[in-house]
Amino acid sequence: MRKLSFLLVMLLLTAMQVLAQRTITGKVTSADDGGGIPGVTVLVKGTSNGVLTDLDGKFSISVPKDATALQFSFVGMKTQEVTLTTANTVDVQMQSEATNIEGVVVTALGITRDKKSLGYSTQELSGDEINNAKRTNFVDNLSGKLAGVQVKANGNMGGSTNVVIRGSSSMTGNNQALFVVDGVPINNDNTNNAGQISGRSGYDYGNAAADIDPNDIETMSVLKGAAATALYGSRAANGVIVITTKKGKSAVGGKKNIGVSINSSITTGMVDKSTFPKYQTNYGAGYGTYYYGPTDDNGNPIPDPSGNWYGGFEYVFDVNGDGVNDWTVPTYEDASYGQKFDPSILVFQWDSYDPASPNYHKATPWKVADNGPITFFDNSMNFTNSVEIAGGGESTTFRLGYTNVDEKGILPNSEIKKNSLTLNGSYDVLKNLTVSANVNYVKTNGKGRNSTGYSDNIMSSFRQWMQTNVDYKMQKDLYEQTTRNITWNPKNPENLAPAYWDNPYWVRNQNYETDTRDRIIGYTAVDWKINDYFSLMGRYSIDTYTELQEERKAVGSGSGEFGVQRPDVTSGYSRFGKSFNERNLDFLLKFNKNLTEDLNLSALLGTNIRRSKVDQLYVSTNGGLIVPGQYSIGNSQSTILAPEELLNEIGVNGVFAGFSLGFKNFLFLDGNIRRDQSSTLPEANNAYFYPSVSGSFLFSNVIPKNSWLNLGKVRLGYAQVGNDAPWGSIKDTYTQNTTFGTTALFSVPSTKNNADLKPELTTSLEAGLEMKFFQGLLGFDVSLYKDNTVNQILPVAVSTATGYSSKYINAGEMQNQGIELMLFGTPVKSSDFQWDITLNWAKNVNEVISLDGDLKNLQIASLQGGISINARVGEPYGTIQGTDYLYHENGQRIVKANGYYAKTATTDKIIGNINPDWTGGINNKFSYKDWSFSFLIDMQQGGSIFSLDMWYGMATGLYAETDYINDLGNPVRNTIVYNEDGTVDESTSGGTILEGVLADGTVNTKRVRGDNYALQGYSQNPNSAFTYNASYIKLREAVLSYSLPKSLIEKSFFQGVSFSIVGSNLWIISKDLPHADPEATQSSGNVQGWQSGVMPTTRNIGFSVNLQF
Amino acid sequence: MKRLFFVIIILLGITTSCTKNFEDFNTDKKRPVEVPGETLFANAQKALADQEASTSVNLNVWKLWAQQWTETTYTDEANYDIVNRNIANSVFQVYYRNILMDLREARLVIDATVVDGTIAETEKKNRLYIIDVLEVYCYAQLLETFGDVPYTEALDINNIYPKYDDALTVYKDLLTRLSADVAGMDDSQGSFGDADLYMGGDVAMWKKFANSMKVRIGITIADGDNATAKAAVESGYAGAFAPDESCRLVYLDATNSNPLYQDMVQSGRDDFIPANTIVDIMNGLFDTRILAYFSARGFSYERNSNNQIIDTDLAGEGKCILIYRDYLNDNDSLVQVNLPFTALAKDSANVFTYNIGGAYGESSAFTQYSHVAAPIQEPIYPSILIDGTEVSFYLAEAAERGYSVGGTAAEYYNKGVTASFTSWGLAGDAAAYLAKPEVAYTTATGTWKQKIGLQAYLAYHVRGLVAYTTWRRLDFPILNLPPSITSYSEIPVRFTYPTREQTINGTNYAAAASAIGGDELTTKLFWDKF
Repeated sequence: MRKLSFLLVMLLLTAMQVLAQRTITGKVTSADDGGGIPGVTVLVKGTSNGVLTDLDGKFSISVPKDATALQFSFVGMKTQEVTLTTANTVDVQMQSEATNIEGVVVTALGITRDKKSLGYSTQELSGDEINNAKRTNFVDNLSGKLAGVQVKANGNMGGSTNVVIRGSSSMTGNNQALFVVDGVPINNDNTNNAGQISGRSGYDYGNAAADIDPNDIETMSVLKGAAATALYGSRAANGVIVITTKKGKSAVGGKKNIGVSINSSITTGMVDKSTFPKYQTNYGAGYGTYYYGPTDDNGNPIPDPSGNWYGGFEYVFDVNGDGVNDWTVPTYEDASYGQKFDPSILVFQWDSYDPASPNYHKATPWKVADNGPITFFDNSMNFTNSVEIAGGGESTTFRLGYTNVDEKGILPNSEIKKNSLTLNGSYDVLKNLTVSANVNYVKTNGKGRNSTGYSDNIMSSFRQWMQTNVDYKMQKDLYEQTTRNITWNPKNPENLAPAYWDNPYWVRNQNYETDTRDRIIGYTAVDWKINDYFSLMGRYSIDTYTELQEERKAVGSGSGEFGVQRPDVTSGYSRFGKSFNERNLDFLLKFNKNLTEDLNLSALLGTNIRRSKVDQLYVSTNGGLIVPGQYSIGNSQSTILAPEELLNEIGVNGVFAGFSLGFKNFLFLDGNIRRDQSSTLPEANNAYFYPSVSGSFLFSNVIPKNSWLNLGKVRLGYAQVGNDAPWGSIKDTYTQNTTFGTTALFSVPSTKNNADLKPELTTSLEAGLEMKFFQGLLGFDVSLYKDNTVNQILPVAVSTATGYSSKYINAGEMQNQGIELMLFGTPVKSSDFQWDITLNWAKNVNEVISLDGDLKNLQIASLQGGISINARVGEPYGTIQGTDYLYHENGQRIVKANGYYAKTATTDKIIGNINPDWTGGINNKFSYKDWSFSFLIDMQQGGSIFSLDMWYGMATGLYAETDYINDLGNPVRNTIVYNEDGTVDESTSGGTILEGVLADGTVNTKRVRGDNYALQGYSQNPNSAFTYNASYIKLREAVLSYSLPKSLIEKSFFQGVSFSIVGSNLWIISKDLPHADPEATQSSGNVQGWQSGVMPTTRNIGFSVNLQF
Repeated sequence: MKRLFFVIIILLGITTSCTKNFEDFNTDKKRPVEVPGETLFANAQKALADQEASTSVNLNVWKLWAQQWTETTYTDEANYDIVNRNIANSVFQVYYRNILMDLREARLVIDATVVDGTIAETEKKNRLYIIDVLEVYCYAQLLETFGDVPYTEALDINNIYPKYDDALTVYKDLLTRLSADVAGMDDSQGSFGDADLYMGGDVAMWKKFANSMKVRIGITIADGDNATAKAAVESGYAGAFAPDESCRLVYLDATNSNPLYQDMVQSGRDDFIPANTIVDIMNGLFDTRILAYFSARGFSYERNSNNQIIDTDLAGEGKCILIYRDYLNDNDSLVQVNLPFTALAKDSANVFTYNIGGAYGESSAFTQYSHVAAPIQEPIYPSILIDGTEVSFYLAEAAERGYSVGGTAAEYYNKGVTASFTSWGLAGDAAAYLAKPEVAYTTATGTWKQKIGLQAYLAYHVRGLVAYTTWRRLDFPILNLPPSITSYSEIPVRFTYPTREQTINGTNYAAAASAIGGDELTTKLFWDKF
């Protein structure tokens, strides 16, 4: 309350002050040519009160009596401040600042450069732009904001985000961008196991770059091409996201500088129903209506004593013990092709078998559930609070930041808590020697992440295997009342064990995972300015974390894959522990001198010594738990299976040198060379060199001055980057299997290593053009590039008749060429109102040029449904291959004699590709006085996705599309009834005639039944029928913010106060994939374009407050 | 300037000199680079036994294709779909990569071992011969599954495009190897000892195994190359397994369990039930092995005033073996009835049990049919590679083919049936069964192929590939057609080659496909003449 009255008083004071005013006029001219400059912003200092100059450069502004000065600012000119005197005319000459029109950017190794001098493309984002929407993984916020950077977040709470810059360059290796924070490479490993990544089962634990606290980010620049990243060495071949964190500022004029900032936000998310199944509502449990089979000799059903007969129910159990069999739902069947709903039918359902149920031993009406799976979801909540204190004395700076994130997911019992503490500081030990250090501690605690993939995943049940008659609220009530696993899917009335699926509330509350990651990232650095020309930087950095993932399956659960080797068990406990650490020691000697008045030379010589170590242990109980609820390895029913251990150490030593020449501020040339020596390569081949050259030419600085062109620059770059082998691909070892009794078992591994590997090499060419017009109101930056990666180190698939599945070789070439366009404009600009548009657009064309010798196809992943993701010669990387329809030469699909479509015999038909045709984003920002509103449209055109959800879900009759009115006007699921003459009874018959021709070209006339799993779904249809276009257009983000005017708060202790309402993933404007989000995938990595049991997308809306003191 | 120079020297010095740990970094500290040969051999044995036993729809569908079992809800494999789950890929991978590669490696390691003394040398040789016998076994399985397969160029990573060899030529080579193995093995000395998971290193038993394989291979190819077959069978029969002998892996516990336990119990799934094909035949023959093969369904009944049984919920028609409790002497008895039935006396419990199999390839409700017997689903249930029952039936066949095998077809037929009953714990029932006119060799219906084919088929329950191969060779019993096909000729008689081979070993694949007459499920292999 006190704060509110304070604000009111302030408002009144401000109102009174604006009463006394005077008008000042004048003209702004250019110091270069004396001409008037239109569009200059003239602002009364310390207020938001301002005007723009007219076409002649003239202006007129009314200013309060107590105003002290006017500020004149204009893109490309030095901002000027003129102290007001009693004079009412102020003429100003502005100095050109053309050379700094683009400002400075942080490039490789943290070197700050004038952007104009760069011969390659970079793109920058500010911390605010990244941190608008609060998400646990800030990387998700980059989507649509950067040209040529494909950011794909899946819907998993705390899940992985795939970040690929300019397409994939490595066929089987890592294609993720490298994150570097203040010069420290941040490990972005994904610890999801192979089964999770290939969509089998498991949790998505996210990727480790999510530990970066967005509140710490001052700026981010993205280095896209090899020319930009070559200095980082091999790991940066996929592009680098360089993050500079906020720092304290040192004191000015002997006055200590200290600032405090508090940021608080609350975000809630709800399921976007367009990404969740729309179910049919007319048929319930079963795979068909064959359960009560008996018919008499004439094929007529034999009814029960009451004269009823239901093909979709069973009549073999006496549920209520009255001595007469009862009609029961085939509860063990996880599909919805069963008995047609009819509330007048009373039947024993899953909830009639347990004494705890209100329907115990009661037959209940057969109808679609009142509370379907959608009721299972909660709204998500995210509370993010951060506080920072930053400042400095004369020779010191420091910043202390703390952020707490508390997130609750949309599934019951799911949460992520994250605490991040960061402290950095610097001290000028001597005038020319500065010591700085940074330490960042992040602790992440996850609980109840959603399971993913095909197996043991509630979402794959909702999307693939479900009964539309199951009321999930009843599931919830019975679980909460009993805390037992009372499932909708019992085997039968006499055996209530789950057939396939548990009660989902049991799963969420009993079979949850927990995980923790403790991470420290830090560095100490010394900057020594040796003399006017030379300086030396030394830095030792470390990124280390320990991670523990514990998974549980409570006694009483249904059987499912679990733990080491993933056998089926009904209970268990597993723990996966990983410790990671990476140390980097860097030295960088820099030289900078103006050789002549026109020629500037800077040069550098550096070394990098990198050591990393991963130590993992995965161990689980076997055959179930003995004591329920005790989650320890010792509590194992059977002897445990051999634990999976991994110890992997890598060392890389790099030396590099570079120069950069600048001539007269319009011609720039850069050259670099680096040599790496990596422990993962055979000793004889473990050192490799690679060079890069780039240049830029600012033609706007050599053509005559004009008023419309402010910047014109062409860039050209050439670079090579070498890359080493994955760890452990040189020497052969044996795999140990679980000991049989007392006999140890060893086996030859499935991949043959290669002691003759050579480094792989990426060669990259890039050209670009940047222009800015009309004082920066319009501009663009376009890049063209071509990258070729050769000598790829591949575990190439070989005939298993060789005794191996794959063999490491150096072979193959992959090419990416593309275009990136950034366009920015300010269609409207006045003193109060401004409208900015930014457009990012990128198209990447990938081609697998060659593999090894005659090899035409390299399988990246083999996935359920018979789908594979491949690198195929002559095709873009990531072809989705499977079965397709067979087509007659007249172009129509061929239908077999049985009425169903013919499929190709082999699964190597190309039915899609994971790569989009193009991606783009348009951001509009409107500013009016202290208000601003922006919204981001993010889109992808093309690319494909195979949906295992549709593949099975159509076969199990879940989706609305499986229940339609056929060509005869009858429900497709009606039985086909034949007249005596063999014709179909058109008045009642269901089924359908598939469009197509027989092998001989005649039109298909065979009617096939529509009342079981065969017609739609996986059984009789090829993979291609379930491959969808992955295009989308999304309203990704909308932000409305308001800052209290400076004038209002300048007398208070606040430096700034702002509020914002932020929405993210608000609306999927268009998509092709039904019932799901085309962006949803299993994990980050090379296996994309396939989805199973994915989470729905959430629409998030948040409110945040930022206070600065 | 001098100190600058100094700095540069140090920088370069550090980075180029400190690579001495690199070798160490690249050494996998969690996995060995050397292991004893017997651990590789034992691993191959385990992998082979697992593959033979499994009923995983990703690995082994032959219990289905032999129509011993069928699937309940998800019937794709019973309907001959092996593409959806890439089963052929898995079979290639299991035999070549998981088994043969480890055997080859075991051979290399053992061969390179330096031993002292003649006994040790003999043991070493025995080990190598045993490895050879198992390799032969694996190739025979591959040949039976696909037809021509890579052999002479297999298991060589330096040749990643292995050619496929003509099946008959390979069979001949396998027989040559078996003869050499039999001749070379010295059963006065040991071999692998306990590391031999099948037979505890008993060389005499391995000799019998090798001889049994000669018989099996001989009979398999009899219609393709009678002379080779005759020679093989005649040279092998005397030293082959006696009716009560076998080569098997007995599993230990849940950690090292029979894959059937994993597939049917641990999985918690109800995917498999007996197929009507075998159940109907056994019901018709009043074959009491059905009690050991399957667990029967029960139903309760009431008697009406005329002491007739009102059958309330008995599904299905045809013959049934009913098991009832004799209220006079409190013993279980069996009686054969036709369904539906009206009256039965002598029962006090008002519960009958009977066996009914699911219609092959159709959707079936698990609860409404018989199930696979509980002992077969135990973790320790053994995996049998080859046994005396099998040898007996081969020899019966050999006798009919005119080979000199020291006995008549009827004698071996009786031995085979008896051995089967005995191995299922029903030795007492064998004589009565053989006395039935529809079983007795002289009176049973049909040609020798039909008689032997039927009884061998019934004896090979759980041993899918053997049953399926016997059916392919003898064409009996008559199988049922699942819904996916409409004629008998569409029943598969082999696996199509792995799709993986089509893409990565395409030239050799194409040559093989053409050599065998087309890569189709219905392409008959060279020995499958009829």
